[in-house]
Amino acid sequence: MEEKPQGLHPAGDGEAHHIAVDQKDVKPHDHHMIPVWFFVGVILLIYGVIILGTGIYEYSSPPPTVLAKTHPAVWWGALLTVIGGFYVYTYMPKKS
Amino acid sequence: MTHCIPLALLFAGAPNTQALLNMHAVDFVIIAIYFAVVLAIGFYLKRYTKTGEEFFMAGRDITAWVAGLSFICANLGALELMGWAAATYQYGILAAHYYWWGAIPAMLFLGVVMMPFYYICKTHSVPGYLQLRYGEPTRLVGALSFICLTILMSGINMYAMAVVMKVMLGWDIHLSIWVSSLTVGVYVALGGLVSAIFNEVLQFFLIWLGALLIPILGMVEAGGWSALVARIHANFPQGDYTHLWRPMAHFADNPMGIHWTGIVFGLLMGSLGYWTTDFLVVQRAIAAKDLRSAKLAPIIGSFFKMAVPLIVILPGLLALGLLPVKLVPESVVGPGQHSYNEVLPLMLARYCGPGLLGLGITALIAGFMSGMAGNVSAFATVWTYDFYRPFLRKTATDAHYVSMGRWCTILGVVISIGTAYLVMHFASIMDYAQAVFSFFMTPLFAAVFIGMMWKRATPAGGFWGLLTGTLSSLGMWLLVKLDPSKLAWIALSVHAKTLAESMYRLLWSGIIAVIVTVVVSLCTPPQPVEELTGLVYGCTDIPSEGHLPLLKRPIFWAGVSFAIFAVLQWIFW
Repeated sequence: MEEKPQGLHPAGDGEAHHIAVDQKDVKPHDHHMIPVWFFVGVILLIYGVIILGTGIYEYSSPPPTVLAKTHPAVWWGALLTVIGGFYVYTYMPKKS
Repeated sequence: MTHCIPLALLFAGAPNTQALLNMHAVDFVIIAIYFAVVLAIGFYLKRYTKTGEEFFMAGRDITAWVAGLSFICANLGALELMGWAAATYQYGILAAHYYWWGAIPAMLFLGVVMMPFYYICKTHSVPGYLQLRYGEPTRLVGALSFICLTILMSGINMYAMAVVMKVMLGWDIHLSIWVSSLTVGVYVALGGLVSAIFNEVLQFFLIWLGALLIPILGMVEAGGWSALVARIHANFPQGDYTHLWRPMAHFADNPMGIHWTGIVFGLLMGSLGYWTTDFLVVQRAIAAKDLRSAKLAPIIGSFFKMAVPLIVILPGLLALGLLPVKLVPESVVGPGQHSYNEVLPLMLARYCGPGLLGLGITALIAGFMSGMAGNVSAFATVWTYDFYRPFLRKTATDAHYVSMGRWCTILGVVISIGTAYLVMHFASIMDYAQAVFSFFMTPLFAAVFIGMMWKRATPAGGFWGLLTGTLSSLGMWLLVKLDPSKLAWIALSVHAKTLAESMYRLLWSGIIAVIVTVVVSLCTPPQPVEELTGLVYGCTDIPSEGHLPLLKRPIFWAGVSFAIFAVLQWIFW
């Protein structure tokens, strides 16, 4: 496949478009949208706390499910809490 | 307060003694939080979707990772979760072909070969590319077929969601369809493609973290892979459920009733059609902020696609080995029995207690909603840009088209609710989806691929190739429906089953489309080269990536992905 340097590329509709090849060609934006990763962190953190709390609450009387004695709610809830906390901390919107 | 409406409806339907599971308050809280967050994201993003480019194309501002996760999550709907777990119970690990051979080569092909043409011509949709390359008639065929497909697929998503609600929670099936679909309609109508993409990324995490516990605990219970295989062979001694290629030398040797040629050629043709021309997924990649990100999106997606069998195929295999009851087809299910489509909910019930159960159900709901949101957002774009604007109202303001996009999002949801009820009349969700899928996809791929790679392809060739390919596929399907004995003609064997028939129909319709496109093109005058600039190989300047370090080049990661894919084939041969 032939390769040429980046720049203006005429499209099929006859107009010339600037093709952004990489990040350095992308124009910066004037808006500050909260990154999706923050929303991911928030919901995982909330879920993690709820599930971990449930696991601790029922620790002495596990639910009637297979392998309940391994207390999956405890360690899975803890995992969600850690992942969610990481994303919230890293992508917390800055006040500036 | 709008987001309170579906939650209120959910709780209103909760009490039902027929439910498979006993939900606790914490599970309802988890589900309620999910609905609140996805709607809140829609409301938050509405302020960023003022123009058509922002509403329909997310401002072409999506990073490679977000585009990649969204690309894979738009496909991670009902088919992926319930449908393929059910198919695994029916056909064994052969179902994994749809994740590996039936996805990875096509996704890499899209990223490396086809994406530069989509991106450089700045089309807003796949039918838009058809218009640039072949003209309005071909766009019309492509747009109409896509609109039909998205509506039908949305119906499948809704039906699957309602089945989960019915089995797990005992909720009314009709209520579930309306609640889930209207929620999707609201957040997509508010925030457009960017809202759909944001929610898809969110749903990606929920699906994985909600469903991954099943294979982890299942493998612990089974005692590892070897022990699981031994259990499956003990439970189902009549077939080979644990090898990908070994049982495919003869039609009668495997549960799917298919020969290896059907998988190699038919599935490859179908996957190229789906992954490279289905605007539902391609839209996520062409919304990327630069060409490198657009090329990386399907390549990043391919890594996750290879891993999805962990949460879909493996639970199906675990059900074969561990469930104390045998599941039956939906069409013959009786009192006290469970159908194939209930595999995943049953496995969830097996391992998940309060809290985890809510998370698992949320994962399923997220999967269904992401698939449906993908269909709805793509439908809004194609309807507005490829049907409404060129054929109904050519001159209107950008704000008018945005408004049309928001309203037809709601309209698309309502129409697809109607199609959801059609799905209930088919024995298997997956078989139905394959039938619909095979009508359009391979002829569309033939038209787009030949158009990109062959300067001599003409507008008449593209149009007639696409039309005859689609009609031939529909004709073959009708032929078998009217006279089941003709299955042996289409799928080459009396032992072939429904999925095998789909594979061969994909192959034949693709071949017919290619032949017609080539023959008609050679019989009609060629297009001037200047009209093909930016659209066709040999007439398009592809920007160089030679200045990038190796680890930033899409071709490098495509090679890594293909190597992992090859190793998986060898391991499970």
